[in-house]
Amino acid sequence: MNIRDNPELRDRLAAEYVLGTLKGGARRRFEGWLHGDAALRMLVLEWQERLVPLGEFSPSRVPRARVWRIIERRLHLEPPPKRWQFWRRDPLQWWRTLGLTGTAAALALSVVLALQGPAPQIDTLATLTDERAQAALLVTADHRRGIIAVRLVGTTAVPDERSLQLWAITQQGTPRSLGVLDEKGSAQIALNERALGSDVALLAVSLEPKGGSPNPNAPTGPVLYKGSWVRML
Amino acid sequence: MPYDQPTDPEQLRTLLLGAARRDAQAFHALYVAASPKLFGFALRIVRRHELAEEALQDAFVSIWHAAGTYQGALAAPMTWMAAIVRNKALDILRRLDAVPEIDLGQFDADVLDQLQDSADGPAEALQTSDEARALAHCMAALERAQRQAIGLAFFHDLTHGEVASQLSLPIGTVKTWIRRGLAKLKACLSREGL
Repeated sequence: MNIRDNPELRDRLAAEYVLGTLKGGARRRFEGWLHGDAALRMLVLEWQERLVPLGEFSPSRVPRARVWRIIERRLHLEPPPKRWQFWRRDPLQWWRTLGLTGTAAALALSVVLALQGPAPQIDTLATLTDERAQAALLVTADHRRGIIAVRLVGTTAVPDERSLQLWAITQQGTPRSLGVLDEKGSAQIALNERALGSDVALLAVSLEPKGGSPNPNAPTGPVLYKGSWVRML
Repeated sequence: MPYDQPTDPEQLRTLLLGAARRDAQAFHALYVAASPKLFGFALRIVRRHELAEEALQDAFVSIWHAAGTYQGALAAPMTWMAAIVRNKALDILRRLDAVPEIDLGQFDADVLDQLQDSADGPAEALQTSDEARALAHCMAALERAQRQAIGLAFFHDLTHGEVASQLSLPIGTVKTWIRRGLAKLKACLSREGL
C-alpha cells in the first residue's frame, strides 16, 4: 500500500498510532514507513502534542523518596558532598597525602610485625591515622585464615557510651560498613570483597552512637581515622 | 515545592536544557517539579504502585539520556516527558503480559470528569499546561461516548475491539467514533492555535 499520496489516511494512521489503537501488523508496517518518511514522523509528533496532554488529567501523586534515590544510583549521579565526606572533594589530593603518611606508617608497622616472631600470614594491612597523621588503628588481613583483624594502637581509646565503626569507602565515594568495633576497639571480620575489593579506595573509622550508625549505608558521626590498604610482598 | 507553578513550561524547559548539559542539580529540580504529575500518569496506566515507580524510574533514566535530543520548538516539555512515561509504563505491562483491571466508573471519575470546559474548573486547579487546557476544552466538545472511547484507548493501550467490549458497543461503531472524535479534536485544537 502506498500512503504517500493519501494525506487523509496518513493523518488518520498517525493519530491512531499515537492513540495506540493501531496494533499488530498494521502498527509494524506503519513503523516501517516512519523510518524513511520525515513528514510522517512530523505528523506523529503533532499528534503526540495533541493527545499526550491527556496524561495530565490523572490525579498527581508524589512518588516515594526511594524512587529518586534509585534513579540517582542508576545514573551514577552523586549527591553533593556532606561535611564528613572529605574524600569526595578532591579524591586525587587525598590519595597523594594518604600515599605519604599511610605507606610510611604501614611499612614501619610491617617491620615491627615481622620482628615479632611467628607472625600470622598477614599479606595486606592498613594503618588508620588521625588528622595529625598519628597511627591510631591497625587493620590486618590474613588470607590464609580468611580474617581481617582490627586493633587500636598507641593511646587511642573508644570513648565511653560511643562506638567506633569501620567503613570501606569505594572509588565512587560510597561508604560500606564493615563492622562496629568492640569496647576495646577490636574486631574480627570475615575477609571478603566488600572490605578488600579492588574498588575500595580507603578505610575510615567514624564515631557513632553506642552500637553503630543508625544509617546502615553511611556514617552519622565524624570520621576520626582513615587509611588505605597496603599489599605486602 | 521550589516553584510557584510546578509545571511552568518555561521553567521545565530550562531545567530540561540543564539536564542536557549534564547538570545533575537541574535534573533533580526537574524531577521534583514534574514527578508528581508523571507518577500520577504512570499510576493511572499501570494501576500498581510498584509498577508505576518502575515506570517512573525507567522514564527518568531515559529523560536524562535523551535530554540532549529534546527540541523545544517541536514539543512542550511536559508532553515530551509524558510520552516517555507512557511508553515505559506500557512496556512494563507488555513485558508482564498484564492487563490492568479497568473500572469504568473510576476511570470517568479520575480522568474524564476532569476534562471539563470551565475557566476555573479542574484543569485550572490541576495546574495543567496550556496544551492540556485546550485539550480539555476540545474533549468537552465531543460526545461522552467518543470521549470515553478515546480516553480508554489512550490510557489502557486498547484495540478497537477491546474498547468496544469495555463499552458494550459494536466494533464498527467504536472505530467510527474514534476516527471522527480524533478529527474533531484536531479541528478544535487548531482553532485553539495548537
